[in-house]
Amino acid sequence: MSDDDLYSVATKLFAAHSRWRDVGAAEADGWAEPLWNALQQAGFSDVSVPEKLGGAGGGVADAVQLLRAAGAHAAPVPLAEAGLVGGWLLASAGLALPKGIRTVLLPAAAPPLRLEGDWLVGTARPVAWGHRAEHLIGLVDGVVVLAPGPAASGGPAVSRGANLADEPRDTVIFDGVRVTARADAPDEVTEESFWERMALGRAALMAGAVSAVAAMTLRYSREREQFGRPIGHFQAVQAHLVTIHQQAAVLASAVDGAVEAVELGRAGFEIACAKMLADRAAQLVTAAAHQTHGAIGMTREYPLHYLTRRLWAWRDEAGGHHRWPDRLGTALVARGPDALYPAIQSGSEVVQ
Amino acid sequence: MVTSPAALTARELELRQQVRAFLAETLPWGKFEPGLGMAAPVNRAFSAALAERGWIGMAVPARYGGRDATAVDRFVVVEELLRWGAPVGHHWVADRQIAPVLVRYGTEEQKLSLLPRICRGELCFCIGMSEPDAGSDLASVRTRGVREGDGWQVSGVKVWTSNAMRADFMIALCRTGDGERHAGLSRFLIDMRSPGVTVKPIPYVDGSTDHFAEVLLDGVSVSDEMVIGEIGQGWAQNANELAYERSGPDRWISTFLLVQEFIRERADLAASPAGSRLIGELAAQYWVLRRLSLAVARAVDAGDTPAAEAALIKEMGTRFEQDVVSALRELLDRELVCGLQPTQTLSLFDRLLRRAVLDSPSFTIRGGTNEVLRTVAVKGLS
Repeated sequence: MSDDDLYSVATKLFAAHSRWRDVGAAEADGWAEPLWNALQQAGFSDVSVPEKLGGAGGGVADAVQLLRAAGAHAAPVPLAEAGLVGGWLLASAGLALPKGIRTVLLPAAAPPLRLEGDWLVGTARPVAWGHRAEHLIGLVDGVVVLAPGPAASGGPAVSRGANLADEPRDTVIFDGVRVTARADAPDEVTEESFWERMALGRAALMAGAVSAVAAMTLRYSREREQFGRPIGHFQAVQAHLVTIHQQAAVLASAVDGAVEAVELGRAGFEIACAKMLADRAAQLVTAAAHQTHGAIGMTREYPLHYLTRRLWAWRDEAGGHHRWPDRLGTALVARGPDALYPAIQSGSEVVQ
Repeated sequence: MVTSPAALTARELELRQQVRAFLAETLPWGKFEPGLGMAAPVNRAFSAALAERGWIGMAVPARYGGRDATAVDRFVVVEELLRWGAPVGHHWVADRQIAPVLVRYGTEEQKLSLLPRICRGELCFCIGMSEPDAGSDLASVRTRGVREGDGWQVSGVKVWTSNAMRADFMIALCRTGDGERHAGLSRFLIDMRSPGVTVKPIPYVDGSTDHFAEVLLDGVSVSDEMVIGEIGQGWAQNANELAYERSGPDRWISTFLLVQEFIRERADLAASPAGSRLIGELAAQYWVLRRLSLAVARAVDAGDTPAAEAALIKEMGTRFEQDVVSALRELLDRELVCGLQPTQTLSLFDRLLRRAVLDSPSFTIRGGTNEVLRTVAVKGLS
């Protein structure tokens, strides 16, 4: 299946199971069972994990296409955590992918999680959909671990939290929980590469959400009439439409560029750029889209908020807003002035 | 929407290496005064040397003196020239705009007589669009071409014309018929040495008098051989041509050298937390603008006309060029711009910054104001 075909199949699935009212219900309940089941049945939660490890095969490009479709539908499930990030961590250490609801334990919480023999100790937060997880995947002391989640018997305790989009971001407390499986992480799997995977996943979701905001806002600007004509005929409103569509193009290109780099084996530069650009796009696009919609966009009756609240939440996730420009800028300055343009042209081939 | 380009091929990367080697030899860094993008100085010898390598009018068919190269080949060459601050002023308009127009609309005679001279780097062109009462609203041009015997007599006033004082020809948008605003417009090539052509310099904002000009056209004779395409088709041609010129590296790279030289000369500030963060943010934007711009060149080579994408890129890229200047300026103390230092001690970065502050408002005006571009771009959205 080509990436375009995959995207359109996924779009159909989300259109059926991640309708705005499904998203609203999941925000209230903390879970979207029919959507998750459909994703598992289609194998979409397991894309980019090799079949021999229990995955659905496919590559990072496929997983990213699914996340774009998910972002466009505000899909309230830990799709990035289950496949692109968690599936990758397990597979990198040769561990098989468990069936069921799974999410990841982010690195670098203070104090960090630790392993005492085969027992996990400490507190992890924020854990996406932690309270529903049957399996938790993490990187602890250089070891890839699979542990039972709060929804499994013998799992850790959990206290609920949520981001601005009412997506569960829970605190999971390990008071001596025995891991289900463990294996040393290979050299290339580090906290840094873990954050990069998270950032790529968020950037892909944000690219999808921005493209959906672009379509919604353009449609509204052609339907809504004021002063006797569609508001999209006013130059001041056209400026907002241009901003939104520019950012949609920026993000589509940036995510593609990051995926290409991952496929070539070095993507530190490109992923940092993609997440930075996604965060900036979130700011510009939400402002312009709300301004174009006016008061109706500020209501829960109109679906714009499902997308804009996610953009506001996601821009602060996956390492935070300043992490990526700080890291990239420091590396670029260290390489000196004459490497700057070659880095812009060739990315991670020049600067990681 | 076209957003992601195929990576450069081995052949294209080899071309880039050749251009880099040429620049390192012809214009060693530190031995010339680099310019800011397409507003770089005029240097006929440099243009001739570049042409010698086949890098002017390179997409022109070989039978007219070109190299049958692709839009991406031209992108590769132009990107290297601009990021080096090379003096491209003499041939810039001829290469970017006139050569493609002649290939597309020119008669066989025009192609045979003009294209080889463009490709040799000989000819300098200026663009006669703006008039005292026609800036963004080009359909209201008043310069008229009147049928006279077997040719045309052109009269009117063109203003804010770059390089008119050294151009060999002007491509002039003129009214040749009445009718609808957009109908009845035609384009002529006017030999700037013709009787009736008077060029009067207009001092530019930086004080220079060798850049901007007013051009008076007083009954200038233009033969039928110098009409571009069909009489009455000037507006449609103009719209198509703007698509070519909108999305190249020249629309987002003009102030790149400020960033490069900031890192060189203000290493401590660049390495500070605020400096590094800014460099990271700017790099991300350069990276993605370059990808979008290259994607348009790839699409042109595939036979598409990505006009909406090109307009979106220009609108965004030119604002970015300005943002670079203000962001760097805010990191620095203001003496550099205000001129509290003796002129002879100004470093390259200081000089570039002073020029950029003065020139950067033009980035979002030249080639079509951003306000007008936005209305063009919106029409192409779906």
